[in-house]
Amino acid sequence: MVEIQIDGRALCVPEGTTILEAAKRAGIEIPHFCFHSAFPPEGSCRMCLVEIEGQPKLELACSTAVRAGLKVLTASPPVAAARRDVLEMLLAEHPLDCPICDKAGECRLQDYYELHGRFSGSFKEAREKRAKLVRIGARLLLDRERCILCTRCIRFLAAYTGTAELGVFERGVRAEVGVFEDRRVDNPYSGNLVDLCPVGAITDGDFRFRTRTWFLDRKPSLCPKCGRGCSVFVDVVCGYPLPPGERRLFRIRPRENPDVNGSWICDIGRYAYRSDLTENRRTQAVLVRDGEEILVTATEALGRVIAAVKAADRAGRRERLAVVLNASLTNEELAAAKEIFIGGLGVGRLAFADPPADRADGRLLTAERVANARGAAGIGFAARDLDLKAWAGSTDALLVFGSHLLDHGRQEELGDALARIPFKALFAAHRNPLDKLMDVIVPVPLVAEKEGNLTNVDGRVQSFKPVWPAAGDSLAESAVFGRLREELG
Amino acid sequence: MINRVLSDAYPDGGLWRLEAYVGSGGYEAARKALGEMKPEAVIDEVKRASLRGRGGAGFPAGIKWSFVPRTTDKPVYVCVNADEGEPGTAKDRAILTHNPHAVLEGLLITAFAVGAHDAYIYIRGEYESLARRLEDAIREAREKGFLGTRAFGLDFRLDVAVHRGAGAYICGEETALLESIEGRRGEPRLKPPFPALVGLFQAPTVINNVETMASVPLIIRHGADWFVQQGLPRDGGTRVFTVSGAVVRPGLYELPLGTSLRELIFEHAGGLRPGRTLKAVIPGGLSAPLLRADEVDITLDFDSLSRCGSMLGSGAVIVLDDAASMLTVLNVIARFYAHESCGQCTPCRLGTAWIWKAASRLSAGQGGTHDLDQIVRVAGAIKGRTLCPMGDAAALPVIALVTKFRPELEAALHG
Repeated sequence: MVEIQIDGRALCVPEGTTILEAAKRAGIEIPHFCFHSAFPPEGSCRMCLVEIEGQPKLELACSTAVRAGLKVLTASPPVAAARRDVLEMLLAEHPLDCPICDKAGECRLQDYYELHGRFSGSFKEAREKRAKLVRIGARLLLDRERCILCTRCIRFLAAYTGTAELGVFERGVRAEVGVFEDRRVDNPYSGNLVDLCPVGAITDGDFRFRTRTWFLDRKPSLCPKCGRGCSVFVDVVCGYPLPPGERRLFRIRPRENPDVNGSWICDIGRYAYRSDLTENRRTQAVLVRDGEEILVTATEALGRVIAAVKAADRAGRRERLAVVLNASLTNEELAAAKEIFIGGLGVGRLAFADPPADRADGRLLTAERVANARGAAGIGFAARDLDLKAWAGSTDALLVFGSHLLDHGRQEELGDALARIPFKALFAAHRNPLDKLMDVIVPVPLVAEKEGNLTNVDGRVQSFKPVWPAAGDSLAESAVFGRLREELG
Repeated sequence: MINRVLSDAYPDGGLWRLEAYVGSGGYEAARKALGEMKPEAVIDEVKRASLRGRGGAGFPAGIKWSFVPRTTDKPVYVCVNADEGEPGTAKDRAILTHNPHAVLEGLLITAFAVGAHDAYIYIRGEYESLARRLEDAIREAREKGFLGTRAFGLDFRLDVAVHRGAGAYICGEETALLESIEGRRGEPRLKPPFPALVGLFQAPTVINNVETMASVPLIIRHGADWFVQQGLPRDGGTRVFTVSGAVVRPGLYELPLGTSLRELIFEHAGGLRPGRTLKAVIPGGLSAPLLRADEVDITLDFDSLSRCGSMLGSGAVIVLDDAASMLTVLNVIARFYAHESCGQCTPCRLGTAWIWKAASRLSAGQGGTHDLDQIVRVAGAIKGRTLCPMGDAAALPVIALVTKFRPELEAALHG
């Protein structure tokens, strides 16, 4: 540990800490564009220059390590002038199209101008004309006029994904970010470039022009798309009035968590989970008669399910009850399910229907594509293959939780089997081709819409709260299990 | 006997052939260093000789070498900087044309002193014929057993590769040069760490200019004391000055460090053309802040020029007479640095472009004296705040020019 002073305040920090980091610990934010804690210092934006007593030139806060007795000034007139000059140069060649820029409201250039700029520009020359709409990936768009050449995007692709699709081309004021020949940024972590970009140069086709960032509430949650359990923000519009049917959930972004996902999430968590939350949702409970859906309240639908279970129970035919669970249920839900279905009812058949495992990618994405495989194993559910065909002739009532039956059989086969089961209830968040073969369907929330604990691939138990209530008439599985427990004693 | 870096080989004594070079005592210094001296002794001798880097910065070569760790589990590299790009400079071209073996011999001695076994000569792309001449020289030296696995039959290996640049000024900056050799975009690295510790391929590396390298054999051959006597105590040896511009005899002049600038211009280079008067001198390549006519009574050495706010730099002396338009000179300087900025760091990328745009607007007659203040202000925002020395190289000459020749510039704007 060494003693240093920053703006007159004495601090004790480990030797080798950078000035930027030491200042941050003391609550002093030193502005920077190119530096990102996930990468080594780049030193190119020159925004973090600070004054060190006894040194003639300003030094980089991002790369200069502290040493005993160092006295740093982060707000002296020379430092303020240097920041102002960097901002003036960047803004001189910037289009100032903030009114139509997705980044507005969370843009470092805007924020730093307010904090450290506030000049009236003196640039009277012709601004460079550059391409404003360059498609660099399936979803990613690059606006070269907004780019400040911090190269965070390039360094991410070189250091994290190793795919190196982007580079700097040309030099001097004509320098620009671009893809190499016919390559595109289509790797499974591409969405991170949008968050990494400190300005609005890289924008996301999935978010572009859909809302203004200041309408968004950023709500902490967990991604359930694999066993990693990445920390995320789900950005939603809660209060601002929107036309009916308008999307209110706009994007999912990484929430920094050094123990789990660092600063990143994969594109499955970012885009596929966003679609999961907003598309093809079932919001109302229904009874199905001859393929037609009849809207009912969730309470009524659940009443039918309870009646069917009770009937089997009274007839002494518990072994003719079958239950299909899934490994994205929370620890609490799985424990309740075990208590009710195995301990209480002693159902004859219990299996899991989950999306099939795939390859782990060596970064964040795990082989299992469910949120709580570790939790399910820990609670004591043995992995058992679902064989609906074998169950069909000897099952009176089937309760299915989740939407992944189709991952465990061909549609016609499953249809034949379901046709031979007298009562079938489905608890699912999405519409599904097998829906018309069910008797009762109850909508359920996704992870972002409920609370509980999930155990990730490393055994870390992570709790989460709903970012907002589930839409429509959804009934959380915990509530379903609670009712069952009450009704069945 | 070779006593000077270039003059003894010039105009063409055929010294570029190995046979002629050896006939004049060439490679004896390398044989002596490798065969009779310890590496530390070589470094000491070069330190005592006050050999300062001829590329521009004037850093003492022996001290640079002593920063290389004596024990390391990595290879050590030596790079020769032959990316001669400083406007006004043509000395390395002449040395490589007429005396390439002096560079190779200096390289051998340097490699021995720092424990390197692989060396690169980074030569600017435009010097294609010189690259071929160097490769011929390397082949000759290898065939003779001076380079290769057992140099001079001794237990010392040195392999040399010539690497051609692609035309960027910035690749003359030593860390951008390393990036370029490694196959990446030529952009300077953030320092520290310095190349002596983390250089080429992350290994300790010494980078010296062609002229510096060619001076090394003289030190070993004649001794440090002799070398210092050729120049100044703190700045040993001779320098090859490239004189261009408004003089009667532009060209290359190898003179002792400490020669007066006036003597170089008015005696060696033949003075100005008849009827002309001296207006200004750029004393060390385009990056060196220019001197007014009343400031030329100084000696040409690193310390003397830095004392008067300029620099000896690459030793390129550009002479401007009363016919020169300082507005045009401003434009030339501004355009060059805007064109050659690598674009990596903000002040250099955008500041040089800003200055150039403003200067060209002034040249087009659209602007006023307040634009001159603006140019100085932007140059001030580059100075001392960039990632590599090119920021200062771009800013200081602009500040000096506008400050020193403001009346003329204002008159030109109003005219």
